[in-house]
Amino acid sequence: MSVETLKIDGDEYIKTAQTEEIPEGRGIAIDVDGIEIAIFNADGEFYAISNRCSHQSAPMCKAGEEKINAEHTWTKTRGRVDAEDCSVTCPWHLWKWDLESGKNEASGQRIATFDVTVEDDSVFVRI
Amino acid sequence: MVSSIKRLDADEEVPEEAFDVDIVDLDFHVNPREEELRPYIEDERALDRLSTEFGMWPIPDKWDAAYAIDEGNEGLFTQGRAEVAEDVRRACERFAINEPVVNAGINGLPQQHHPVLKNAVLRAGNSYMLDHFVDEGVLTALSIPKWDVDYALEELNRWGDEDGVVAAYSWYDPREPWGVEEFDPVFERLESLGLPLLLHGSLAFWPQHSYVGDEMLTWTEVLGFDWPIHGMVNTVNMIMRGVFDRYPDLNVVFQEAGHWWLPFVRYRMDEFYEMHPEDIQITPRKFEDGEHYLEKAPSEYLRENIYMCTQPFALPRRAGEARDMLNLSMAADTFVYSSDWPHQTLDPATWFFTSRAFRDDQELRDRILHQNARDILRI
Ligand code: FES
Repeated sequence: MSVETLKIDGDEYIKTAQTEEIPEGRGIAIDVDGIEIAIFNADGEFYAISNRCSHQSAPMCKAGEEKINAEHTWTKTRGRVDAEDCSVTCPWHLWKWDLESGKNEASGQRIATFDVTVEDDSVFVRI
Repeated sequence: MVSSIKRLDADEEVPEEAFDVDIVDLDFHVNPREEELRPYIEDERALDRLSTEFGMWPIPDKWDAAYAIDEGNEGLFTQGRAEVAEDVRRACERFAINEPVVNAGINGLPQQHHPVLKNAVLRAGNSYMLDHFVDEGVLTALSIPKWDVDYALEELNRWGDEDGVVAAYSWYDPREPWGVEEFDPVFERLESLGLPLLLHGSLAFWPQHSYVGDEMLTWTEVLGFDWPIHGMVNTVNMIMRGVFDRYPDLNVVFQEAGHWWLPFVRYRMDEFYEMHPEDIQITPRKFEDGEHYLEKAPSEYLRENIYMCTQPFALPRRAGEARDMLNLSMAADTFVYSSDWPHQTLDPATWFFTSRAFRDDQELRDRILHQNARDILRI
């Protein structure tokens, strides 16, 4: 993928996806020079956070994915993206990460978050 | 200045190298729904009782895993629900699992009160598994009841030599540990069939049924330590009561019993036995056989006949500490990988590709990921 950039107040943002590529409640993952970043759509707001959960390295981008035979389960998705409390829950063991601060309350651990801006239906992330 | 950006393949959830290694998963649960099992219940009377809505659950449980988990009891299905072989294959692809050994996971069964109904459900579960998994080429562990030895033998006679049935599955708890002589006919049959006995934690005995357990309130206490204690007690009971002197080819795999307690049991068993072994001769098997002592040091049975599923691995982060723990646990001979899919303690094989303890010792990694399992399963 060629790198498209955008400058905001002197900071460089890179284009990662079109908004329609990330459905509401779901995420995608990109690798930027070896850094894995997950980008989520939480009710129309886009957030970027490390794609690797610090617990056991689950790919966070799977949060919100439909479960196998989801119709026979209650919550239907593996982990989830929660727009109301601005969090993403890991698909493996459900650690909850704040999408703005990258913090998990229970462990006190923090993972990286990245600034996001949307321009002309493109999602840009500041690395 | 960013030089490269690429979209990641969302379907692979473990490191790429994992896809180049053979991974056998010794504890993969499928969860047939009640209405799917019902047609397999053979006895009309049992079916009638099992299909009638009786209202409230008859046994009040004080502790529940649900309190600890954001999604409550849905924690049992954090990854989904496999009902047929295709579901299992889909789930395994993501985690690079080549050979899952599935079980029907009706782990609440030992808790039920009526042996006739329990047997009916157990048999229905096995029949379902034969149709939907064994016949579809998925390696399967079929269940035998701990509460009814004759019925266990009947079940083993029914499907024990089917291709694709690679192990028998039952449960451990502190009631009647597996060292009790009553189980000898089962061991004898398993040995002759070449099937290992997989023992899973059972819902038959939560700590609330004991004095100390009455005060256990948390997931960490109950699931983290209660089952391992039962696993430990059952292991030592089988060894000291001479099960493996009588059935030297029997292999027993503990699932969800923890595994890092092996060094403790290894050294403590030997120390105590060597210090004061004179009561061995009056344990029933030894007494009957006129033998005085065990044939080997207790820890040797641990190494040769007992296996531990690793889920969740909880490997120390420092490679040196991890290596020491693995050595002391005789992991090359005792550990077998398990994912516990789809439960809340899911353990993808990530550890084996991120820790230097395994990067520097691929032979050990391979023994845990597949070799030990392939050695004991009837494949
Ligand atoms: S890997 Fe994310 S919670 Fe365990």
